[in-house]
Amino acid sequence: MSYHRSYPQGTVVLAVGTKRGLFLLSSQDREKWQVTPTALNGTRVFYAAFDQRSGCRLFATDNGDFFGTFLRYSDDFGETWQEPRRGIQFPPESNQKLVNIWVIEPGRPNEPGTLYVGTDPAALWISHDHGETWEVNDGLLSHPTRSQWGPGAGGLCLHTIIADPTRPERMWVGISAVGCVRSDDGGKTWVFANRNTRADFQPDKYPEFGQCLHRMVQHPTQPDTLYQQNHCGIYKTFNAGDEWIDIQNNLPSDFGFPIALDVHHPETLFVIVEGMGRHNIGDHFTVYRTRNAGEQWEPLTQGLPAGPGVRLGVLRHGLCTDRLDPCGVYVGTNTGQLFASRDCGDNWQLIADFLPPIYSVTATMLV
Amino acid sequence: MPMITVSLPNALRSRAGNRSSVTVSGSTVREVIDALEHDFPGLRFNLCYENGELRPYVNIFLNSDNIRYLRGLDTPILPGARIHILQSVAGG
Repeated sequence: MSYHRSYPQGTVVLAVGTKRGLFLLSSQDREKWQVTPTALNGTRVFYAAFDQRSGCRLFATDNGDFFGTFLRYSDDFGETWQEPRRGIQFPPESNQKLVNIWVIEPGRPNEPGTLYVGTDPAALWISHDHGETWEVNDGLLSHPTRSQWGPGAGGLCLHTIIADPTRPERMWVGISAVGCVRSDDGGKTWVFANRNTRADFQPDKYPEFGQCLHRMVQHPTQPDTLYQQNHCGIYKTFNAGDEWIDIQNNLPSDFGFPIALDVHHPETLFVIVEGMGRHNIGDHFTVYRTRNAGEQWEPLTQGLPAGPGVRLGVLRHGLCTDRLDPCGVYVGTNTGQLFASRDCGDNWQLIADFLPPIYSVTATMLV
Repeated sequence: MPMITVSLPNALRSRAGNRSSVTVSGSTVREVIDALEHDFPGLRFNLCYENGELRPYVNIFLNSDNIRYLRGLDTPILPGARIHILQSVAGG
């Protein structure tokens, strides 16, 4: 089977997960985009991602409203979908019920058959056979503090998974509203890594856990450096999460959901912070960029909408970058607009509108 | 055990070879679901959570009675009865 009968090598493909299905947007120049619906239609797709380490398999969440939640995969760019032989289902003895699948991450480059999934209730799932069979990580499921974990507004969701490419035994997960949790022994045990991140909604503003971490990314060449957008601030760490440093600085708000970075210039990060209404502050939809790892932030507005009726919000997986240089930046709103920049955020264009509310955007350049 | 005809909603027919109804044996609704799972692997998870609890937006009718107002999954089934599986009115 040819994986690229519709998409030549070098095509940038965006997988856009929405409230009512999965869409693919493709471009050869990151200027003209084609929107293609997939056969995963009418269901809540919280996240979708390509795994190109062997073939070009597209994974997506099918968070059904009636008949259950499933992980699905496609080997033909979404025309047909398969179900894993042993999918994401909690063991009956765990007394857990799958609510939603939140994120899918291909594993390390040197582990081509390994993938990870995060769910609500918070759990880490692992496959070692390209997604055909899945098992839950017992170390996290049985964490001694689990009975004290409380959900965020979106549920008790494990929404971020970072498998350290330099250390096979180390990985981080982000859970709302538990915080950053790290394993240094391949997932057998997990420790909290939340020091100096705030939980303003708790009497103890700096608890060991209970923070509402929204999204987290790792520096591509300094593995101990991570950045997070939290319910209460934006932070960075230089020691794998043992301590975090507040980098809100001149941002107009400490609240937002997504964060992304430029892999070629990793001190360049993007966030979208929001006001009380959980939409743009003021009348101009704005993406914020730092070129110096959070010391200073600048507003990016060229080509983004403005006006008295502009009220756009972006969810935690609604912002991503591609791996080209200059990097492309992509933003999907919870009202169905998709914006793209091909020059690291200097200029933006609307590349899709009238989509269902967008939950996630991931970018892949086909090899 | 009696043979029971089970009507399936559109969303689940692909798991049963695109059939709108199937015939399985069972003396209770729970046994019918077990039989459906045996014949069409994966169907149970469409209807029930991992702990066996019926999903909140799945309605199962025994003839014209919703089993939630009978004995739930332990509702006994008499020969000649018909089971209807339907998604409830919800969503938006």
